Amino acid sequence: MKYRTLARTLFRNAEPYLYLLPALLLVGGLLLYSVAHTLAISFTDWDLITPPRFVGLKNYVDAIRDPTFTRSFSNTLVWTGGSLLLPVGGGLLLAVVLERIPGQRVLKTLIYLPAILSTTVVAAIWSYVYTNNGVLNETLRWAGLDALARPWMVFAPTNTLAMIVAASWRSLGPSMALFLVGLQTIPPELIEAAKIDGAGERILFWRIKLPLLRPITAIVVIMSVIGSFMTFDLVWVMTQGGPGRSSETLAVTMYRQAFIMWRMGYAGAVAVILSAIVLVFSIWYLRATLKRSAP
Amino acid sequence: MPRLTVQKRFLGRYLALGLLCLFAFLWVTPLAIVVLSGMKTPIEQSQSGILALPQNAATLFDNIASASELSGIGKGILSSLIYAFVGSMAAVIAASSAAYSIAMLKIRFPFFWFLIIYSGTVFPFQMYLMPLFGLYQTVGLYDTRAGMLLFYSAIAVPFCIFVFRNYFVGLQREVIEAASLDGASSFQTYLRIVLPMAKPAALFLFVTQFSWIWNDFLFGQVLAKSDDVRPIMTSLATLSGTYGKGSIPQQMAGALTASIPTLILFFALQKHFMQGFVVNTAGE
Repeated sequence: MKYRTLARTLFRNAEPYLYLLPALLLVGGLLLYSVAHTLAISFTDWDLITPPRFVGLKNYVDAIRDPTFTRSFSNTLVWTGGSLLLPVGGGLLLAVVLERIPGQRVLKTLIYLPAILSTTVVAAIWSYVYTNNGVLNETLRWAGLDALARPWMVFAPTNTLAMIVAASWRSLGPSMALFLVGLQTIPPELIEAAKIDGAGERILFWRIKLPLLRPITAIVVIMSVIGSFMTFDLVWVMTQGGPGRSSETLAVTMYRQAFIMWRMGYAGAVAVILSAIVLVFSIWYLRATLKRSAP
Repeated sequence: MPRLTVQKRFLGRYLALGLLCLFAFLWVTPLAIVVLSGMKTPIEQSQSGILALPQNAATLFDNIASASELSGIGKGILSSLIYAFVGSMAAVIAASSAAYSIAMLKIRFPFFWFLIIYSGTVFPFQMYLMPLFGLYQTVGLYDTRAGMLLFYSAIAVPFCIFVFRNYFVGLQREVIEAASLDGASSFQTYLRIVLPMAKPAALFLFVTQFSWIWNDFLFGQVLAKSDDVRPIMTSLATLSGTYGKGSIPQQMAGALTASIPTLILFFALQKHFMQGFVVNTAGE
C-alpha cells in the first residue's frame, strides 16, 4: 500500500517531464549528438574504415592552407554579398513600391510563387536556362545579342554569379513579403504627418520607413546570411561545385571531402568552421526573435 | 502648379504598375517554360522555339513515365508523401506536448529545456551529416524508410517547439487552471483543451514542415541510396544539372510533377502561409 502511494507521488512529480521526452530524445539523440560527434571527428584523421586517429588541429591548418578551401570560402562570401544585394535589397525595393499599388495581391502572389518550389526544382529549371542551347542563350541570339551568349556554367566567377541569380529567383518573394508585413506595422498617421511637413518620397523612405523597418530588416538580413553560408542543394545539383571545383561553397566542400573523398576529419573541420560563422548570426537571430516573443 | 504634380504622381503610379506587371510576368516565365517543355518530345523541343506551344500536351505523361523509369521519381513521390505527412505529424505532436510541459506545467528550469530543444535550429546541416551517416550504418537505419522518417521528425521539432511555446505563452492560463480544478488529468487537459486551442499553430506548422520535408534534397542524398527509399528531390536531382542523365523534356516533366503537392498546399492554404510570416517573425 505504501509502495503504491510512493509510486504515485513519483509519477506525479515525473509526469510533466514525460511530455518533454519524445522531443528531447529526437533532438538530443539525432541532432545534438551529431554536433558533438562532428566536433570530435574534426580533430581526427578518419576514412570510415580504419579507426579514427587523433591529430589535433591538423585538419584546420590543412584547410586554411588549402587553395580549394580558400576559393570555396571566397565563393561563399560572394554568395552572401549577392544574396544581400538581390533578394534582400530587391525585396525591400519591391515591397516599398508594391505597398501602394492597386493589384498588390496578384503581383505579390506571382513574385512569391518560385519560393514554393524546391531548390532542386529551381536548379533543374535554371540548368535548362543556362545550358548551351538553353533559354538564356537562345533568347540572346534571338535578340541579336550573339556576343553575350556564352557557356554560363563553365567559367568562374560567371558560374557562381549565375547561380546566385537562380537562387534569388526563389528567395526574393519571401523577403519581399516580410518587408511588406513590416511596412504594414508603420502607423499611417506617422506617414501622413511627415507628408504634411513636406517630406518627399525619398525622405519618407530614408528617414521614416527604413529606420522603422529595422527589426524586420535585421531578421531578413540574418536569415539571408545564414542561408548563403549553408548554400548546398543548388550548387550540387547544377555543377557539383565544378568544373575543377571552381564553384564550390563551404557546404559543398564539406560534402565532397566527406562523401566523395572520405576524408571525414577534414570535412569535420570545414563543418566546424562553417558552424562557427553561422552560429554568430544564429545567436544574433535567436536574440532578436526571442526578445520580441518574451512573455 | 499643384494640379501638375497630382497628374504627375498619377502618371508615375501607372508607370510603376506597368513596370511591375512586366516584371512579374518575366518572373513567372520560367514556370511557363517548365510546363511547355515538359509537354514536348525531345526532337520537338530542340527544333521548336522555347515559347512555342507543344503539338500534343499528352506527351507530358510519356515524359513523366520515362523520367520515372530513368530516376525513380515515381517511387520517390510515394516515399516523400509518407515522410512529409508522418514526419511533420510526429514533429507537431512531440513539439506541442513538450511546449505544453514547458509553458504550462510545473517543471524545473523550463527555459533551459526549451533552449536545449530549440538549439537544434542554430547549427548548419553539415554538422549532422557524418555522424548520422555513421550511426545509421551501424544500427541498420541507413537506406530505410524508418530511418528517413525518424530523421525528418527530429529535424522539424526545434522550429515547431519555438512556435508552440510562443503560442501557449499567449494563451489564457485560466482555462487550463479551471480544467485542472475540475479534476482533469494533465493528459486530458493536453488532449481536450490545449491541442484544440493550438489548432491554428499546428496547421501552420504542419504545412510548413510538410513543404520542408517534401523539398529536402540533402538528407535524402546522404541517408538513402535505393530508389525505394530515396525521397523525390534526391531522385529528381539525378536527371538535371551538368551531370544529369535526363533530356530537357524529361527534366521539366519531373520538375513539374515534383512541385504539384506543395503548389496545391500553397494555393489551398495561402492565408496560412501569409499568417505564417506573422508567427514566423515572432509575435509581431
